[in-house]
Amino acid sequence: MKKSIAVLGLGAIGRLIFNDLTKTHNGKIFLLGRDVKKLKKLSKGKAEVRSADVNDIASMVKAFEGIDVVIHSVHHEYNLNVMIACLKSGTNYLDLGGLYHYTKKQLQLNQTFHRAGLTAILGMGAAPGITNVIAGYGSQFLDSIDNVEIKIGNIDKSTYLQSSPLSNTYSIQTILEEFSWKPAVFINGQMHFIEPLSDREDYPFPRPVGSKKVQSTIHSELATLPYSLKAKNVSFKIAFDENFVNKIKTLNKLGFLSEENTKEISTEILRQLPKAVPEKIEQYEIIRVILEGKKSGVKKIINLDVHVKGENETIDKDTAVPASIAAQMIVKGKITKKGVFPPELIIPEKDFFKELSKRKINVFLNQKVML
Amino acid sequence: MKFDFVVLGATGEEGNIASKDLLNSGYKVLLCGRNKDKVKHLLKDKKARFAYVDLSDVNATAKVLKKSGANIALNCAELRWNIEAMKACLKSGLNYLDLGGLQEMTIKQYKLDNEFKKKNLVALLGCGSTPGISNVMANYAAERLDSIERIDLGFAWDSNIKTFVLPYSFESIVHEITNPAIILKDGKLQKATMCEFEGVKSFMKIGPQKTYCIVHSEVFTFYKYFRKKGLKNVHYWAGFPEHSFKVIETLIELGFGSSKPIEVKGKTIKPVEFSRDVLKKIERPKDYKETEDIWVKVTGMKNNERKIIEMGCLVETIKGWEDAGSNVDTGMTISIMGQMLHEGIINEVFGVTAPEISVPPKPLFDELIKRGMTIYLNNKEFV
Repeated sequence: MKKSIAVLGLGAIGRLIFNDLTKTHNGKIFLLGRDVKKLKKLSKGKAEVRSADVNDIASMVKAFEGIDVVIHSVHHEYNLNVMIACLKSGTNYLDLGGLYHYTKKQLQLNQTFHRAGLTAILGMGAAPGITNVIAGYGSQFLDSIDNVEIKIGNIDKSTYLQSSPLSNTYSIQTILEEFSWKPAVFINGQMHFIEPLSDREDYPFPRPVGSKKVQSTIHSELATLPYSLKAKNVSFKIAFDENFVNKIKTLNKLGFLSEENTKEISTEILRQLPKAVPEKIEQYEIIRVILEGKKSGVKKIINLDVHVKGENETIDKDTAVPASIAAQMIVKGKITKKGVFPPELIIPEKDFFKELSKRKINVFLNQKVML
Repeated sequence: MKFDFVVLGATGEEGNIASKDLLNSGYKVLLCGRNKDKVKHLLKDKKARFAYVDLSDVNATAKVLKKSGANIALNCAELRWNIEAMKACLKSGLNYLDLGGLQEMTIKQYKLDNEFKKKNLVALLGCGSTPGISNVMANYAAERLDSIERIDLGFAWDSNIKTFVLPYSFESIVHEITNPAIILKDGKLQKATMCEFEGVKSFMKIGPQKTYCIVHSEVFTFYKYFRKKGLKNVHYWAGFPEHSFKVIETLIELGFGSSKPIEVKGKTIKPVEFSRDVLKKIERPKDYKETEDIWVKVTGMKNNERKIIEMGCLVETIKGWEDAGSNVDTGMTISIMGQMLHEGIINEVFGVTAPEISVPPKPLFDELIKRGMTIYLNNKEFV
């Protein structure tokens, strides 16, 4: 049985995925990207390095040869390119999300992947990813679902040797898109697109996160969950630090994020900012999904919380770990469905939760920890 | 056409204001810059023409200057081009005026003093609001004292609508805020903490405002010219309204004021220049009005008694100049001083000089008042 997994793109999350694979994957690992020299250095002898450019499908087809699963951790605008390369090379595919609009397009490749005998899992990080899986898991306890509420919040009590002016933990490009694209909200069986930042409100997360201001942002959970779960209402809200929001708002108001070209330059300027250098990491994230519906004619609420503790490692591992787990499930034959799927329709939940808990990410069903 | 004036950087905001003021006063003006579109409205005036000038090319600039037939060039470009503009004037034999060079550039500019003297040319530095009006007011006050010990000066402004409008050159603002301030303390020029908060001061028609100590060219020229009168301390205070300062701080913090080039899709871009272009596109909202106070406070002795003389120039949005807000005080002033030189009101003291010793106060104040500004002497309107 072939057992090779490749990480395409070694950005912040790609590196964490690689890190998890080196600790847990009993098979070959490949690192793929444009800068082979950099990849070699990052590989520390634990992976084979190949050159691949997400703008160049032929280069990817060549690089994917003999690889079972590619985890695509470059920006989502390349999702379709990488999927096409996977179809040509006969490789299974995983990504970290498609910010709704890309996901919609990617789902159209379902038949093609199915015919090719390949599996593609879309949005296999924390959110989307863990959110989808727990929502899917919770839905089994209900006959019909009225509301699906997703809420993400975190707290950072780390001490820093050097702080960053914009303490973003994931791709600044993605964040700027989340702040400027209209969020999708599914209300009464219909998709609505509202103004970005228009619905910020306080939300009481369980301790230690506490009350945080959450807002709707465009997210790929909305592209699949309403239909997978046959829910009437689905919303996704995530907490952003007030200071952070104000800074982005300022840039937006001044016109730095308006036109495509201007936004691109602004993004590049923000990428130059010094990264925060932590002295001691103490972070905590809570991913919450609340399902409201009926069971045997009685109103019922299912609450799923995932607690992610970041001690001496950042909570961003929760975006990397699910991709690593799912890729390993594919190579181990635990996932056999062929086609293009969102996580809620393909991930064996209990096995997935077990793997999460090994990595100190715990799932709570109605406040009780699950193993 | 033989021109009376050449305006370098006529395409910028201050260049536009200066050019319009010169044209309104009946002069023939050659408008220079790189982008003709930005002076289109001024070219409707038959006394105006456009010439392409890239200040990085001194020889080509000198040729344009020479061909213009004018005697005087007003440099309204970004201050980093001051030396190139001066060299072009030396080459072509034109007198030179500019809007200031903060501390660093001003010192470099004074090194060209001998060359200007040799050619019997005047280089008058810092002819805007501050430096400019502030220097002349300081001189007016200094002349009324036997000795002077201390000068405090600065600006403060606010707008009726608290929305961000670029108050003046973004490059200058970034320079002022991210470089250590220079102050004159106990007779010595010394570096002070960069943009240190100096407390809240109250200003005429503006009210209380936070002030910051920033680098400015007056500290250097006052020291140069008033030292013999005993001057030992000069302190520059910049007042920004909170809504504007916060935005500027955020932009600088997020790297939008950086001069370090970055690559975007194969193109090299300087963040500060990119930001300037984005910010310049912000339009002043309807009914947006600005008020600015340019002020000096001179402390010294008169007849063996300690005396303080305060002067101020109050600028509000002027009818017909709504697009320029309170920035009129900078562009109009260089135009007025240029005209004073043209008309022989400014004595031709050759070499590199500054308004506090070259520009007679009364005629300048008269012209400013004529244009709708108000001059105050010890809180009383100056007539």
